[in-house]
Amino acid sequence: MNINPVLLKELKVRMRGWKAAGIIALYLLVLTAVAVFIIYTTFMDPYSSNIDPQISIGAYTALAVFQFMLIMFIVPALTAGAISGEREKQTLDLVLCTRLKPISIIIGKLFASTSQTLLLIIASFPLFSMVFLFGGISIKEIMQLFGFYIVTAVTIGCIGMFFSAHLKRTTASTVFTYGTLAFLAFGTIFIGVFYIRIFYNWDYNKFLPILYSNPLVGFGSLLAEQFGYYGGINAILGFSAGFGRNSNAANAISPWLGNIIFDLVLCAVLLILSAARINPVGKGTFGFFRFRREKKKKASDSI
Amino acid sequence: MLAIKNLNKRYGKFQAVSDLNLEVAEGEIFGFVGPNGAGKTTTMKIICGLLRATSGEITLDGVDIIRNSRRMKEKIGYMPDFFGVYDDLKVSEYLEFYASIYNIKGQERKRITDDLLELVDLGSKREAYVDSLSRGMKQRLCLARSLVHNPRLLVLDEPASGMDPRARFEMKEILKNLKGMGKTIIISSHILPELAELCTSIGIIDQGRMVISGSNEEIMQQVYNKKVVRLKVTERLDDAVLILKEYPFVDKLVIGENTIQAGFGGGDGEMSRVLSDLINRGIPVVSFSQMDGNLEDVFMKVTKGEEEQ
Repeated sequence: MNINPVLLKELKVRMRGWKAAGIIALYLLVLTAVAVFIIYTTFMDPYSSNIDPQISIGAYTALAVFQFMLIMFIVPALTAGAISGEREKQTLDLVLCTRLKPISIIIGKLFASTSQTLLLIIASFPLFSMVFLFGGISIKEIMQLFGFYIVTAVTIGCIGMFFSAHLKRTTASTVFTYGTLAFLAFGTIFIGVFYIRIFYNWDYNKFLPILYSNPLVGFGSLLAEQFGYYGGINAILGFSAGFGRNSNAANAISPWLGNIIFDLVLCAVLLILSAARINPVGKGTFGFFRFRREKKKKASDSI
Repeated sequence: MLAIKNLNKRYGKFQAVSDLNLEVAEGEIFGFVGPNGAGKTTTMKIICGLLRATSGEITLDGVDIIRNSRRMKEKIGYMPDFFGVYDDLKVSEYLEFYASIYNIKGQERKRITDDLLELVDLGSKREAYVDSLSRGMKQRLCLARSLVHNPRLLVLDEPASGMDPRARFEMKEILKNLKGMGKTIIISSHILPELAELCTSIGIIDQGRMVISGSNEEIMQQVYNKKVVRLKVTERLDDAVLILKEYPFVDKLVIGENTIQAGFGGGDGEMSRVLSDLINRGIPVVSFSQMDGNLEDVFMKVTKGEEEQ
């Protein structure tokens, strides 16, 4: 099997020495501390029974949110410099003048940059299984959560790669990546609320399509669905089907599933655009449109 | 082997390369000379598929490089005028990474890495981190990298820039080895005497245009219309000048501290006659020889220089 050479090289460098193992150990230690704290405080609650599924739900939620925040904050920092960093080190041209396709370079860099986070996520899997002791959470639900994590991490990675490929400086790329993430997480909610306030006759049973792009809504809806709870943030957003699927919006796709589909499409688009951008003999990111424009111009000139 | 026809590269309104034509035969070492911003690096990058030409055609063994960029990259090795090394890799890992890109595996990868490190005299640094290498060593490592897939054509952009004299000498020796191995090389440099010594032919580019190209001798003939001789004396320089001026086939005298450089229209017989005459008339001649080509003079003569642009 041929492993992407860029990925292999990056993994070799990143996993060298005790640093990588140290980070994993430290991370798992922090996660364990969070879980133990939640379980301990619930055990100490005199009104709670000792074997209560509520314990596992509390610990599961805490771990899930902690890990999700980690993805949201760490992945942009790791990926936003992937290509611009190569440019700054003057190594991009050396890879581009080889037989490697631009898309292979982009994919190699993407997975190399997100690998550390993905490794942390996978390493935390046994810790999550601790909640099985108390019941209330099934393995299917944990798999759903991890699937959602991986898709979210890769999507954020793709956003970082896109800006890294398009902007010369890593600092600018990092700012734009965090900015885009902030827009997806909060901007889309703001637009949604604004839209509903303008259109007073909005059918509150409908799910606002723009919120399919929101990772927070997706994550929240996944947890809400897993706990069999479809209310919650609906009240805040002002529409009944906003966060989870309810009986009135039974035909609508689950927000978290919609978010995954949106993410996968976005990833494909961003990867193609990033590869087009770094292709030195290509027509650039919007080359296709430029090509059409040139063709039109030539046609009009010939007339 | 390599043929460039009417190559043009424009950045907005700036014409970086203008109707450039060039042919490099198999096994040739072609020296690419020109002032800063003349279009050398741009041309080299287009050859290596790192820039898109505005128009024109480049073929390698008859195959269009621009249209078959990926396939042709396997036949071209490129060394830019900057280091471009991953500091956090070991020397052997650095070469192995590029070998893996070309699908070179296992023992063959190791053998190629070892051979190349020997070639560039970095065998003892195999396990050293790239970060710990000196500038000259990094340049040599870059050269080894460009050879990892055994390319037919090597494009070297200022391979000796910023090196101290010793490192330059070592680089020159490696390039001589490559010349002996029959590699076709395009090399740009500002160290003109070294280029003259290494190259079988030279092209001088200025403001994106190829001003002159050919073998060293052809260029000297084109520029001076005749060969150039150089005479060195210990004293009586003025008398030597007067004697030389008596011969109709000697002209364009350039007088230095103890030297005279002159255009020479005659053959070997005339050269011998002039030398005998100088000695018979008591001029203390230290040396009298035909110059291989003072590329620096030619360069100054055919390019306008940055100030005049």
